Amino acid sequence: MDPFVARRARLLGAVAVVLLALVETAVALVAPHLAPTDADGRAAAAEVRSGFRAGDLIVAAPGWADPILRVHLGDLIPAEVAGRLDDGRFARVWEVSQRGARSEVRGQLALERRFGALTVRRIERPAPAVDYDFVARWADARVSRRPARGPVVACQNAGDRIQCPDISYNFVRRQIVEVDQKLREALLAQPVGDATVVVEFPAVPLGRTLELGTGLHNTWMRKEAHGPVDLRVFVGGAPAASLTTRNEDGWKRTTIDTSARAGQTAPVRFEITSPAPQARHFAFAAEARG
Amino acid sequence: MKRDRLIPLVLAAATVAWLLAVEGRQGFGRDEGQYMRAGERYWGWFEELGANIRQGHPGRSFTAAGIDHYWSDNAPDHPVIMKTLYGLSWRAFHRCTCTGPTRGLHPIPVKGRHVTLPLFARDSTAFRFPAFLFAALLVVMVYRFARQFVAPPAATAAAVLALAQPHYFFHAQIACFDAPITTMAFAVGFAYWKSLRDPRWGIAAGALFGVALGVKHNAWLMPFFLVAHYVWMRREDFLGWLPGNARRASPRPRRLPRVPLAFLSMLVLGPIIFYAHWPWLWQAPIARTRAYIRRHLEHEHYNFEYLGLNWNNPPTTTALKLLRATAPFVETGLTVPVTTLALAAIGAGRLARRKRGAPVSPDAESETPIAEGPSWLRPGADVDRAPGAFLLAQTLGPLAVLALPSTPIFGGVKHFLAATPYLAVLAGIGLASVAPPLVAAIARRRARLAGVVPVALAAIVCLPSVAETRRSHPDGLAHYNLLAGGFAGGATLGMNRQFWGYAVAPMLGDINREPERAAMYWHDVIHDALSMYKRERRLDLSVGDTGFGEEGIRRSQLGILFYEKHWAMYEGWFWESYGTTRPAAVREREGVPLVTLYKRSVR
Repeated sequence: MDPFVARRARLLGAVAVVLLALVETAVALVAPHLAPTDADGRAAAAEVRSGFRAGDLIVAAPGWADPILRVHLGDLIPAEVAGRLDDGRFARVWEVSQRGARSEVRGQLALERRFGALTVRRIERPAPAVDYDFVARWADARVSRRPARGPVVACQNAGDRIQCPDISYNFVRRQIVEVDQKLREALLAQPVGDATVVVEFPAVPLGRTLELGTGLHNTWMRKEAHGPVDLRVFVGGAPAASLTTRNEDGWKRTTIDTSARAGQTAPVRFEITSPAPQARHFAFAAEARG
Repeated sequence: MKRDRLIPLVLAAATVAWLLAVEGRQGFGRDEGQYMRAGERYWGWFEELGANIRQGHPGRSFTAAGIDHYWSDNAPDHPVIMKTLYGLSWRAFHRCTCTGPTRGLHPIPVKGRHVTLPLFARDSTAFRFPAFLFAALLVVMVYRFARQFVAPPAATAAAVLALAQPHYFFHAQIACFDAPITTMAFAVGFAYWKSLRDPRWGIAAGALFGVALGVKHNAWLMPFFLVAHYVWMRREDFLGWLPGNARRASPRPRRLPRVPLAFLSMLVLGPIIFYAHWPWLWQAPIARTRAYIRRHLEHEHYNFEYLGLNWNNPPTTTALKLLRATAPFVETGLTVPVTTLALAAIGAGRLARRKRGAPVSPDAESETPIAEGPSWLRPGADVDRAPGAFLLAQTLGPLAVLALPSTPIFGGVKHFLAATPYLAVLAGIGLASVAPPLVAAIARRRARLAGVVPVALAAIVCLPSVAETRRSHPDGLAHYNLLAGGFAGGATLGMNRQFWGYAVAPMLGDINREPERAAMYWHDVIHDALSMYKRERRLDLSVGDTGFGEEGIRRSQLGILFYEKHWAMYEGWFWESYGTTRPAAVREREGVPLVTLYKRSVR
């Protein structure tokens, strides 16, 4: 390389280092003042409250800001909404965002206002009605254990759960579960060795789809065990879906097309088995949607 | 030179002053609480030894029961040099209120008011003080080592950049082992480097290695990195020894080089010092050493967030193994200040381009061989010492170990902190190589400034590191650099924010004022940490602890939750038990949640 050019290149390199140092210093000093303040949060919350309607969803973007959102608006985000199956049933979604982040909710932008470092957007879109929420209607379920050999064992409602005899962990219970380090409201139904756990809802008003979410609850159980859990779904006695849930699947979403029986009422049965049921805290949630 | 004595002294004093000025805002993690407890208990052994000597029965302190009563605390987890220093420092420097209402919170019976030199208002500062001294020692050594390659301004910058790294700075403030073992790794490396041309340092390397073994088990890895450099430095001998190699025509001897003094010294002195320093080993040296080694070779994979995933098992698929292998490199790239990284890259380039025998910079020690033939006493005297290979091995070695998919990655950066001072030395070399053109350009216009420019340049490149470190405090673990986008960028990337419950400290005042504080759930704050907060009156004695897990939350009226990916289930328990998803407050940094406070009364 020509010595003059080499000298120039080295000089430019030195200047670049100095500039980098100055920029990094400036960012370190300025960035803390650009974060949303408590006043921004209160102002954004007031805007959401002024237009909030029952059945609306409120989300934070990015998602890690959700706890701060709930400080201001948690009374409008009950556990069943915070731990929802998915966003699909919400026609109006309020998004409180920062730093240009966006939630995954898509639709028509009905409102956008800025409050300091926070932006409030309301997104509206057509959403299907929920005809039957299996988690909310958990007490309707008839639960039984069907051993590989021997008679079917019926299980009884014990207040906060439907408990099967003889095996303490053989029950179905509505609870907040942790799947893939996110919280969901679901039915916890652990599989049992050499048997099928059957959860049947006898009269489900069907819509166009049956939306299903499955997962394995509890970080420590997922650390300890690796067995898959199989779920078979029967609608009106006919097999409608068969799926396997593993540790790495997270919250696994499945849509079952029930449009052929939309408007009808039919039994829906879930059959849960596992070849390795130890420490398998299987959870599922489902909704019949119009 | 006078300047080379004065600058390290100033750096050391500034390091201790900076750490003392800020450490109180940083809370106690699970590990630190345990080490403070163990340190005080180890002091108990010395106290009892004194009493036994006065009674004419010193042997009682050396019986199996006399030793294990004190020294089995935190065994076989960790050796005891630092914990003992923490305990002795506490005993010497705390301001004793030990016979007051907090008397029962000490891990050993308080027999009376302690006579001390009350330098520190809080017990924890006294415990932590030896860690500050180790950090100061590191800064001094980085300066001294860097001075072998660069002029004082660049060496000073290297020393400052070694300290001013948010994650290192976090660990430098606490009574744990990660910053001290970083100091010892550097000390062993420095001694080895000096031993290449001075046999006295060969002995010192062994003694320092023994001390390092007594600080933390990372010391086991040090010889591998040193041997890697040694083999590279003497590669001509090894290549010449290979049968059929063309280099056999070389006039150099064909036999393998003898094991150098430094390695022999480490092999002999290391185990002796390790055994001698840890009374718990004395009763059953082999069985207990085996238990200690197995404890770490079979260590559980604790939960840790990296790139949005929770890692708590060795990865099983190829894709996950590859992703997992990137962890130490990506974590370094996203936590060390960017200017430091850029200078280190320039420094590495400068070393790569260096010709064999040439100095690293005009201000560096010569690499010209000073002896004709090889010697096990001075194995680097007849060859170029390969400083680039040395710094490369010391920097990449600790990262490479953590890149192995089978190695647990909990703790993140702290497990390869030993690389960071060498990274700072590389940055110093990088600064020395970019400075001359700028100095020359300015000198051509303003000759009077020629002497000031190197110092000003060193100050400018230290600015971002100091500013970022100041910004990060007291939440250094949650901080990420300019490339990541700071606290918020780290959260968006799914990087770990914290561990072991230290982040509650700034909330203690609010908790003290809570009417229902007697029924407080503490999540990941360990009992030892609560005791220390109470001993220091940062936590009111009326504040309760409802216990662990779901039952602890059910019994509580208020409680906290630390944001780590794997704790999500605990938040679900709050929602169910308190009947709300609404927190009473969130402790955050730049909008990124760290700790949530739930109250049963808030809906």
